[in-house]
Amino acid sequence: MSVPAPHELIRFAKERYHAFTEIAETFVDAEFHFSAKDNLCANGFQARAGSAILEGYVPPFDATPVHRLKTAGGQLVGKTTMDEFGFGTFCVNSAHGIPLNPFDIQRSCGGSSGGAGAAACLIPGHIALGVSTGGSISGPVSFCGVVGLSPTYGRVSRYGLIDYGNSLDKVGLLSRSATLVREHFQTIAGPDPKDPTSCAQPQLPTKGRMPDSLAVPKEALANLDPAVSKGFQEAVGRIQEMGVKVEEISMPSLRYAMPAYYILATSEASTNLARYCGMRFGRREEELNQHFNDFFSGVRSQSFGDEAKRRILLGTFCRMVGFRSRYYLKSLAVRQMLIEEYRKVFEDHQMVLTPTMPFLPPRFEDIRKMTPLEIYGADFLTIPPNLTGMPHVSLPCAYQQGLPVGMQLVSDHWREMDLLEMSSEWEGHFPYRFPEVGP
Amino acid sequence: MDREIIARVAKVARLELTEEEMERYAQDLDDILNSFSILDEAPMCETFTFNPIAVVDVLREDQPGQDIDPKLLRKQMRTYEDYVRGPRLS
Repeated sequence: MSVPAPHELIRFAKERYHAFTEIAETFVDAEFHFSAKDNLCANGFQARAGSAILEGYVPPFDATPVHRLKTAGGQLVGKTTMDEFGFGTFCVNSAHGIPLNPFDIQRSCGGSSGGAGAAACLIPGHIALGVSTGGSISGPVSFCGVVGLSPTYGRVSRYGLIDYGNSLDKVGLLSRSATLVREHFQTIAGPDPKDPTSCAQPQLPTKGRMPDSLAVPKEALANLDPAVSKGFQEAVGRIQEMGVKVEEISMPSLRYAMPAYYILATSEASTNLARYCGMRFGRREEELNQHFNDFFSGVRSQSFGDEAKRRILLGTFCRMVGFRSRYYLKSLAVRQMLIEEYRKVFEDHQMVLTPTMPFLPPRFEDIRKMTPLEIYGADFLTIPPNLTGMPHVSLPCAYQQGLPVGMQLVSDHWREMDLLEMSSEWEGHFPYRFPEVGP
Repeated sequence: MDREIIARVAKVARLELTEEEMERYAQDLDDILNSFSILDEAPMCETFTFNPIAVVDVLREDQPGQDIDPKLLRKQMRTYEDYVRGPRLS
């Protein structure tokens, strides 16, 4: 069987799997091809962040990570499908199509970087820029059977990223292999004066260190689908065969992470999304002869999707007078407490190991039956490192019922290269499988 | 979470909700916030910050500069001559 050219695979990934919302008109002979999640601005492409409210918005500049990959010789070949503003666990909340899982098109790619997960899986050698706020890289990585790095908060510039939660958003990478992730991570990391939160970082080391001990919090092993539990235990056995110690520990504060995350994320989102009122991003044709309150409310009510409205309402409520201390300030305190709890674990172990998602990629018909609270709960394993800004990778660790199972490794702030060292070593012990699909 | 509160929140958030949305979101927020009440058990601390890492102020020389041509930005908006057009203020 002949190997299809990259541009054929990119078109195939867009048309058959809805991985891309938009692709380049022409493909050049670049050093490498890469994609950007649709909430990263890129000159010449629409940046709609999965939302109808940004329809037609074409930014006249590149986000810093996009700019750096282009400068390194890459061609941006497309924008990938995502949940509206990153609001979702299964990538079903997009105004621009739902990406289909390459392992089974009846199932979700995960969210919110679902298109990036599908593109990374379908296109060998492809590198996808994703964004994680509460697990939006790790989730799709787990469901699509690829490798994904969510760096320390502040390691990669957020300039040109359409904000969801300013204290949580992180730009990272998805690909079929840790080697590619490592190579391109070194390109996109580093201070950028256009994003002050990126300017406090220590220099990225050129090489990481293999861990000798991993901690598995027992709280992360409850409420798992038996298939995930089985796959994860097999992976733990393999890691021990690699000579790395694995010890079960307790992290009692993990139980507060999910509510604290959703309160902070929706509080920040509800203020960030206030700017979308039909005036500044993308031309709209609504009647201007209205009072601004009616105009803004009309545009927002028509254009935001169901989950965006729910999160705006939740965040607005949590910030209101009388509730701020109970919800918002308490969540900030929980984040600090959890950072300290991680630090205590890192005194004896270099990384924390858990499964990435509690179940196998779900079918769309089953997702439709889930309540919003059940969907939020599905993020309970990816939220803790995201809330605390800790870097983490998700790697395929088993295959159950023909579907990938992911494991997540978390390290202390700024130790991404250790995670990538472990990821490369893991690839030598566990061969990854990819679905045989193509144009 | 009664109808009155959700209506107040929606007004602050500049969202016009239908009756059906009002009822549904009130129920959803009620379920979500009830589940989040576990936070009441968590101890409070006074040393938290607004970011998970320490951030620094970054200042540049105070020299005029222009990263993006305003003409390009205006293409994204409805304009009249060099003005941005918007709805009525009163």
